[in-house]
Amino acid sequence: MKRWSRRLRHLAVGILDLPQDVVLEVPRITMIGHLQMYIENHRGVLHFTDQELRLLLTNGQLLVNGEQLVIRAILPEEVLLEGKIGGVKFLQKP
Amino acid sequence: MRNLMKEWLKGHITITIRGKRFERLLNLAVREGIQLWNIRRIAPDIGKCDIWIRDYFRLRPLLRQTGCRSHVERREGLPFWLIRLRMRAGFTLGAVLFLVGLYMMSTFVWRVEIRGAQQIPAYQVQQAAEKVGIKEGAWKAKLKETKVLQRELLNLLPQASWIGVELNGTKAIIQVVERQTQEPEKPLGPRNLIAKKRAVVHSIVAEAGKSMVRVNQFVDKGQVLISGVLGNETRQALVAARGKVEGEVWYVSNVSVPTTRTQYHLTGQQQELYYLVLGSYAVRLWPFEAQSYAQSRTTEERYQAGYAQYALPIVWKKVIQQEMAVEKKEIGRDEAVETAKRFARMDVLSRAGKGAIIQDEKVLHVKTENGKVYLSIHYSVIEDIAAEQPIVARPPVPHPSGN
Repeated sequence: MKRWSRRLRHLAVGILDLPQDVVLEVPRITMIGHLQMYIENHRGVLHFTDQELRLLLTNGQLLVNGEQLVIRAILPEEVLLEGKIGGVKFLQKP
Repeated sequence: MRNLMKEWLKGHITITIRGKRFERLLNLAVREGIQLWNIRRIAPDIGKCDIWIRDYFRLRPLLRQTGCRSHVERREGLPFWLIRLRMRAGFTLGAVLFLVGLYMMSTFVWRVEIRGAQQIPAYQVQQAAEKVGIKEGAWKAKLKETKVLQRELLNLLPQASWIGVELNGTKAIIQVVERQTQEPEKPLGPRNLIAKKRAVVHSIVAEAGKSMVRVNQFVDKGQVLISGVLGNETRQALVAARGKVEGEVWYVSNVSVPTTRTQYHLTGQQQELYYLVLGSYAVRLWPFEAQSYAQSRTTEERYQAGYAQYALPIVWKKVIQQEMAVEKKEIGRDEAVETAKRFARMDVLSRAGKGAIIQDEKVLHVKTENGKVYLSIHYSVIEDIAAEQPIVARPPVPHPSGN
């Protein structure tokens, strides 16, 4: 059943030309240089220090590391992060 | 654009949160709809964030749930201001009272200014204004409209042709425009017009009185020209003689003009000197070394600081020296004569009085001596020769041969 729904979604993206983030429940990330980062479609904060932010996603995790990280704003599905961003990494659910 | 005013009204605080499960608290708060911003980690178990005051109270059960402790670092916004103001009630009251007082005071007329009243005495205008209600200390709200006030004032002051009332802040300006009344002519006493100089009558027009001389007649000084006595010996009337008598008068003017002319002109070189004057001592501050000019024109400006009649004893003086060059020029005899004539004409016209016309000019004598040109010129000038002479006692009946 779950596999069927995933397939259907991929099909929708392909045929109906829908934006992937809407359909596939993956995060949409907007970055302004290394200064600011806007992440949509997250599922909660797992770990936050001034060098690392770990966000929970629908399947997997998003790891952002950098320096002097500050969460400027946070909403149930959105995060606005500022600071010197060093790297972004996806950890897929095995 | 964020609504800064609204944010300030709501008021927010900066809190530090101490606890192991900071992230869990964040997630819970977000799910509850509590707004948090500027979140950062200071130390492994200390976080810091900003939060609305209202949300802070909703956060407290969550803190207990996650075992965190909060501490308020900074308070910002209107609510905290209000608390501070309540703590300084006297100060707040004073500020409010001051503003209220200022407003109240500005609703009164503090000064009445009367402009343009010259013939009408100012106190009369003032009295009229008081009757209408414009006086010092009057409440502006109780005054009628300026147009109505103007009309009422004009009724009270019939000498004025227009009155303007203007309320300028706490100042009431009453602008008076006076009626231009023609000065009634002074009743003139009976008088004669007599000659003030020896002359030959050039023209005579008698407006009132009897003309006693004819054109081209020679008159002596003091001779009656237009008589104020009318009628014959038996029936007489005295009038103020009026009229215009012009006579030809002769003048001789002696003028001397040097044949060398000295001219001064500025060379363009100038220097500014600055002095500090203390009592009777003047100390030059600038420049250190002043140039000295052979001939110069000096202008001086003084600046003194002070208030009203009090003045500092120190005076700042600025002197501007402009260098002048002297030029001596030899002028010819003809030019000298021309210059002399010009001076002579001016001299004669000033002697003859207003409205005089030079009829004839004759050079009598020219002499050059000791670098000067001496001229004597004869002028015949047509000028007004009439002078007034009141008839005091009952005069003897004048007859044409003079008085």
